Amino acid sequence: MKEVKIVSKRFDIEGINHIKKAIEHGAYSTIHKMFDKDPKTIVDEIDKSGLRGKGGGGAPTGAKWKLMLQDFKLPKVLVINCDENEPGTFKDRQIISKDPHLLIEGIILTSYAIGANDVYIYIRGEYHQWQNILQKACDEAYLQGYLGKNILGSKYRVDITICKGAGAYICGEKSALLESLEGKRGHPRLKPHQKEPEWYFGRPTLVNNVETIATVPFIVENGADAYKEYGTSKSPGSMLFAMSGHINNPGVYEAEFGTSMMEYIEYYGGGIKGGNLKGVIPGGASTPILNATEVAKAKLDYESIKELGSSLGTGGMIVMNDSVNMVEALKNLLEFYHHESCGQCTPCREGTAWVDEIVESMLRYSASYNSIEQLLQIGQTMNGKTICVFAPAVSGVIDGFVKKFRSEFEEYLRGVCNE
Amino acid sequence: MSSKMVEFTVNGKKLLAFEGLNLLKYLLDNGYNIPHYCYHDSLGADGNCRMCMVEIKGKKRPQIACDTLIKEGLEVNTNTPTIKRLREEILQMQLRNHPVDCPVCDKAGECYLQNYYMDYGLYKEGKHKKQKIKKSKNIEFGRNVVYDEERCILCKRCVRFFANITKTNELGVIKRANHSTISTAPNQKLQSQYAMNIVDLCPVGALLSSDFKFKQRVWFLQSSPSICHGCTKNCNITIDYSSTKFQAERIYRYKARRNEDVNGYFICDEGRLSYKEYHTNRVTQIEYKNSIIDFKEAISKIGIEIFIHKDIVILASPNLYIEELESIIKWSKKLNARLYSPLECYKDKEFADNWLKEELRVANAYGVMALEIDTSTPDISSDTLLINFDHKLAQDINTLHRIDFITHSINSQGLILPLASWVQSSRHLINSSGIKQYAPKTLVANKPILTVTEWIEAIGGDI
Amino acid sequence: MSFEFTKEELEYIEELSQRYPSPKALMLPLLWIIQNRLKHIPTEAFKAVADITKTSEAQVYGVVTFYTMFTLKPTAKYHIQLCKTLSCNLCGSKELLNLLKERFNLLPNQQNGDFQLTLVECLGSCGTAPVVQINNRLYENLTPAKLQKILEDFS
Ligand SMILES: Cc1cc2nc3c(=O)[nH]c(=O)nc-3n(C[C@H](O)[C@H](O)[C@H](O)COP(=O)(O)O)c2cc1C
Ligand code: SF4
Ligand code: SF4
Ligand code: SF4
Ligand code: FES
Ligand code: FES
Repeated sequence: MKEVKIVSKRFDIEGINHIKKAIEHGAYSTIHKMFDKDPKTIVDEIDKSGLRGKGGGGAPTGAKWKLMLQDFKLPKVLVINCDENEPGTFKDRQIISKDPHLLIEGIILTSYAIGANDVYIYIRGEYHQWQNILQKACDEAYLQGYLGKNILGSKYRVDITICKGAGAYICGEKSALLESLEGKRGHPRLKPHQKEPEWYFGRPTLVNNVETIATVPFIVENGADAYKEYGTSKSPGSMLFAMSGHINNPGVYEAEFGTSMMEYIEYYGGGIKGGNLKGVIPGGASTPILNATEVAKAKLDYESIKELGSSLGTGGMIVMNDSVNMVEALKNLLEFYHHESCGQCTPCREGTAWVDEIVESMLRYSASYNSIEQLLQIGQTMNGKTICVFAPAVSGVIDGFVKKFRSEFEEYLRGVCNE
Repeated sequence: MSSKMVEFTVNGKKLLAFEGLNLLKYLLDNGYNIPHYCYHDSLGADGNCRMCMVEIKGKKRPQIACDTLIKEGLEVNTNTPTIKRLREEILQMQLRNHPVDCPVCDKAGECYLQNYYMDYGLYKEGKHKKQKIKKSKNIEFGRNVVYDEERCILCKRCVRFFANITKTNELGVIKRANHSTISTAPNQKLQSQYAMNIVDLCPVGALLSSDFKFKQRVWFLQSSPSICHGCTKNCNITIDYSSTKFQAERIYRYKARRNEDVNGYFICDEGRLSYKEYHTNRVTQIEYKNSIIDFKEAISKIGIEIFIHKDIVILASPNLYIEELESIIKWSKKLNARLYSPLECYKDKEFADNWLKEELRVANAYGVMALEIDTSTPDISSDTLLINFDHKLAQDINTLHRIDFITHSINSQGLILPLASWVQSSRHLINSSGIKQYAPKTLVANKPILTVTEWIEAIGGDI
Repeated sequence: MSFEFTKEELEYIEELSQRYPSPKALMLPLLWIIQNRLKHIPTEAFKAVADITKTSEAQVYGVVTFYTMFTLKPTAKYHIQLCKTLSCNLCGSKELLNLLKERFNLLPNQQNGDFQLTLVECLGSCGTAPVVQINNRLYENLTPAKLQKILEDFS
């Protein structure tokens, strides 16, 4: 197993949250050289590196940044997505708790590259402890002159404001996040008709995930080619993958793209806990489940997981052993989606409640004979017909569970369960 | 939207439209039947109901028409089997928690949901008959608006009305997922003087007017386009009335009628409720000194009064139509009478706002001015004969010698002649922006009642 | 009952407002100030929020009821938020729930003296599942015994 430490390079250093210690270990070194560079060259380098967003979508970061390079009437804004609500995902939290100055360094570089002086970090409301760490780190960076009006004596200004969410999964979706930042309910917006930036109070805005931004210092320092040395040609670099559930050593470990999933689970996770492997949800709860056969084939990169009919998402794997009742597991997730749908589109608002109800009645042995078909059918109605991809994700989750573990669902319809 | 015309096709038919025009708007304006809830011309697209799906060539999945802009070469299909199935599926979702209590719903007959599920045959399948979540019914929003949570399909038209149009943000969506509902702030009622427009906007029976509720099923109503006489704005309205053969005709409500040049899509609540005035206190019989006389007697009395008085003052209501005012002008010249139409007494500063409502609470003040009728207040001596055509000022004039052609009773000891109200008459009005509009005759009384012009003709023939 | 921001709060809000392009952005920060101080957001406070953010009380109401961490009723002294989502579920959140039910007489969405239990969705700590958040503090890698100790130390 080839170990890689791009984002996690300082994770194990005691006291790294303090700026002095962080600087000793190389933090902010890129900022000292930053002003020698034309911002556009940074954008180009990121584009060349093939860096893909780590928030779940895997969109090429360079292309998003380039959209910010036009002339706009209003000032540009950079928003960091630290909503981290996707079940099975807890990597951004690691960056903030184990190396917050890496994120701040990435923010300064990004803001300089795209020309945004105002930065907002949207962090989920439940992360009280990490909000404090992050705030402290920012305060230190202000004191050391890395943030504020005249960064390192230059004319360049960057201000970071930490904004707390308040308990809404959907606010991780970038346009809902911006609505929330604008003080509103987190309702995702209609997609624009052409490629354009996001907008925050009418200001052109870039939204990136914490991990995406935390990768920027490495690329700026070592160049795109250094990053591309890791990973595959279409999924270059590395990612903070995570494991939870039935695993001996759950946690977050960085690995390069293309690593075999099983190898990763064995090497870092210490293998399956309490039984044999039954399935893995590969990239946060919203990605379709893989069964054991598929897991054996899976590689941790976008293309490989896509080929298996799922997606890499946030790289947060939920591992399940063979004691798991898949109907109950699906019910658990459907409750989540039912609870978290923002409620604006009909198929999602009604569909999430409906499928939850159906699986519940299955578990009570009171479902109607065609419930499985009904579940799949409702899933289809939710797929591709809504404002955001929340509902299609639910559709994929249902499809995965029902199609791959159909017999377990049928048991409930026969009135017999092998529990 | 640009001013460039582009060619595109709908269901194989080649069409022309401005580039960038909203596809759903185009389709609806051109008679295509596209089910939709959240889109409304005045509010634009919100994209939440997902009913307006169409197929667009080159797109893998169906798209919502309300968020599609027309461009060169766009190929749209509105009626493929996929689209039909999809609409059916989404309708089923809408109906999942909808009570489908059409027999007791006031919106029945003009409800988008009812129309669509009838169209799609869902009523026979009984798919909607499962257990529903019970929510609150009959929530008083204030200003005559009553909300039924169970019937609401969360299209947000009402919320967007207060957000985009009045900018008062009096309603919000509260809670989340399928628990979402519409609400005012806790312990608050609607304040807007235009609140009742949301009853027109609501595509289903979730918002009803407590004023209209349970009074009449809509299929017993007839509709006629008309013009509100509440102020000089001359908002376009629809009058809904019943006219069964053996019953007196009755107006049940006014609704806003779209006219981009005058009132857009809306009317004020006061104008909307002014239909009530039509029925109260109407003059129906010819009276002289409080006793009933017949038509012939009345005509000869008028002749005598006109003959014995040298000084005649005619007051003409600024609510009368242009053509009616013109008859009065002609007649006054013939009689050598002094003609006035004072406006001061119609002024109401508090009524006016900076949207629709205007200070002069009478329909044709600008018509009066255009005809150059004297708008000052006349001197009236004890020898003067007052001929009043329904002018408000007349009720405050104390004179013995008077002839009152009036729609609504006033305190007068003279000769009282019933006059057709504006609803029973027709012709033109001029509003404050100089726009001349035609108001057709809506109601025909079972017992015919004369208009100004008809009265003058009747009298003229006798003189 | 009426609500007013304190002088210190107003000073902080003034400072905060410099950081945003519109007062509307102050919505969540203001609600957090209230929630932290009163352990809920009384409807009486809507007006103060609406005035500063240049919105309406109905809008404030919509926002408060959208986010699960804002509550309209006061939460108990110890607000136990037990994660019920998949990873925690796989790692034994049900046992924690049973403990709370049986030993502490706590049912979801109910208060019992100083304690209140809410079942919440993923807290972003799946790697250290099962987890419980009590007020602002997260407790990770729990077992029924550990949770029992924690709660007993409170009372
Ligand atoms: C339902 C939903 C939830 C999401 N949650 C998150 C999240 O918690 N964190 C995140 O960074 N991105 C999340 N995303 C993805 C964001 O919309 C967005 O793509 C991302 O923040 C962009 O950053 P990236 O390109 O750096 O990944 C979510 C998307 C959806 C549809
Ligand atoms: S798909 Fe669901 S979460 Fe996304 S906008 Fe529609 S209702 Fe909201
Ligand atoms: S009350 Fe009517 S207009 Fe308002 S959201 Fe519900 S259905 Fe739409
Ligand atoms: S604004 Fe005037 S014309 Fe329009 S509805 Fe109101 S009263 Fe009638
Ligand atoms: S009318 Fe288009 S989505 Fe509602
Ligand atoms: S599932 Fe409990 S913290 Fe993620």
